[in-house]
Amino acid sequence: MDWSVLLSADVLGQMLFFATPLLLAALGEVITERSGVLNVAIEGLMALGASVGFLAAYLAASNGVGIGAAMAAGGLIGLLLAYGTISLQVSQLTLGLALHVLCVGLASLLYRLVVGLQFVPPQIQTFRGKGGDTLWQVLTGLPGPVYAVLLLAVVVHVIIFHTPVGLRLRACGENPRAADLLGVNVFRIRYLATVVGSMLIAAAGALLPMMLTATYSDRMIGGRGWIALMLVILGRWLPFRIVLGGWLFGYVEALQYRLGLQLVTVPPQFLLMLPYVFVILVAIRAYGGAAGPQALMRPYDREARG
Amino acid sequence: MEGAARDWRWSVLAYALALALTLAVTTVIIVALGHDPIPAYRTALKDSVGTIGGLSQTLNRMTPLLLASLAFALGFKAGAFNIGMDGQIYAGAILATGVGFLLADLEVGRIVGLPVALLAAGVGGALWILLPAVMRVVWGVNEIFTTVMLNFVATLLVEYLATGPWNDPMAGEAITLPVPRGVTLPMLLARGGAHSGVILASIVALAAWAFLYRTRAGYELRAVGSNPLAAQMAGISLRRVHLLALLLSGAAAGLGGGIEVAGVHHRLLLGLTPDYGIMGILIAVLAGFHPVLLIPANFAFAVLVAASDSLQRTVGFPSAAVFMLQALVVIIVIGVQALQQRRRRFVI
Repeated sequence: MDWSVLLSADVLGQMLFFATPLLLAALGEVITERSGVLNVAIEGLMALGASVGFLAAYLAASNGVGIGAAMAAGGLIGLLLAYGTISLQVSQLTLGLALHVLCVGLASLLYRLVVGLQFVPPQIQTFRGKGGDTLWQVLTGLPGPVYAVLLLAVVVHVIIFHTPVGLRLRACGENPRAADLLGVNVFRIRYLATVVGSMLIAAAGALLPMMLTATYSDRMIGGRGWIALMLVILGRWLPFRIVLGGWLFGYVEALQYRLGLQLVTVPPQFLLMLPYVFVILVAIRAYGGAAGPQALMRPYDREARG
Repeated sequence: MEGAARDWRWSVLAYALALALTLAVTTVIIVALGHDPIPAYRTALKDSVGTIGGLSQTLNRMTPLLLASLAFALGFKAGAFNIGMDGQIYAGAILATGVGFLLADLEVGRIVGLPVALLAAGVGGALWILLPAVMRVVWGVNEIFTTVMLNFVATLLVEYLATGPWNDPMAGEAITLPVPRGVTLPMLLARGGAHSGVILASIVALAAWAFLYRTRAGYELRAVGSNPLAAQMAGISLRRVHLLALLLSGAAAGLGGGIEVAGVHHRLLLGLTPDYGIMGILIAVLAGFHPVLLIPANFAFAVLVAASDSLQRTVGFPSAAVFMLQALVVIIVIGVQALQQRRRRFVI
């Protein structure tokens, strides 16, 4: 087998391409987690984003409308999660998992109700890049969302670390009581972070039909939400390190498709297992010395003592 | 006394609200699909509890659900989140099927074959969670990620086995050859098609209760789950307890997969127990993680699943909708519980 494919322009371009939805979801998650809320509904939110985004893009014949609709739907679920975990102080894992299931069911149901059973599934326009042959042409000719998400990573980094809002956001995730005493409205910041994060996660789901498949199917998320959740830990809650981690996962996904073309003797199922096995291996590294926001998963209770 | 009375009323309110909303949403979906809800409901009732056949369907679905929710509850009691029951169900089913094929050559009867196959299923589930459990206790890796990733791996492995080496060439789909009669479960309601797995699963649930509440190891397990620091100070090894809880959890789910093969399909196939693992989480939450309460809670959810399968046949009710409804029920119940907690604060 020709090992030069491992670093070919194609594979590197696809690395950036496949990393994009993962990165967008991880950026949404990092905003939420920095405020002290863990959003484990991420996989379901992406499914809902994919379904709503696809349907809106199909009906309006515009991917922009699709992404907007997905973000609105994600925001609503985020609001539910925020009310439950921040106001009612329900367990973030329990409610998150329940909302995950709700979103997975809702995504599939909406598609069935709007499109119905059709022999040929409807398609939408995918984002297309210029493409090219040389490394430079490939890297600059990718579809628009690839660059938009990288720009967003810079924006998220600047907001978290170089603005007053970011400082308050981090304070709510590290020590909400201290933040509260200094006049930060912990509840408002956490609500905002959860809703905005959920909107970005749903938009990430909407990118899947718009970048990869052009159609919607029920199992299309395929664990990408869980991988994004792992990415946040691997990236130590830092946007730039998350980008690097995202490229790593993107590379494995790109490689898996390339290897599928080359290694015809290996059953395809084993190649498809690659990204998942890779995540498990990476998890060992990710957890070595990982320290998340101090107040992550702890509801803030103004009346609690201690 | 007064507090207890109020608790009771809140619970009734929660379940009534959940039931009313489920019925309302279901009716809206049936009407949206262009059907008359009343006859559809009548058939659904018949196909879930109203006839022997319907009741059998419910009991058969209840079996893997009960074991999956028990698996989640066992992990949760020790403070661990095993959400990979779907993978462990598959792993148990794979091993039970494999052992079944091996035993076919030996031509053993049910008395030997069935226990060996079911034991293999439990071992398969435990093996499938071994890596996440070891990673948790050695490197502190959260088991949520590792168990859920292994779900995808297990699905792909079953797809490989069912289309590759074990494929039944006559079936023309992703399904294996049938296992020998020696590893199939005897029938409970032969006329309706209910297998005896539900009894086995209920015994396992009762045994889990006895283990958790009547043994020292079970006490340690619960102590770690409710306050790990205090448990550690009392000299309990967190690592040992987490390892034990996760392995038991995996074994319970794996047994569910083995029973599903031995009782219902007599083969291994893709979509053996469609998302029952994740449904198990919801049911465990609803039953408050109590092994005995899991039995009625799982019966109720199995009725819901059987009824929705009936609605799928009669009016094309999407199978995803039942998934959404179950989540809705759980969200309402935990929401009402939280509201109750908040109200209690204002009433001194």
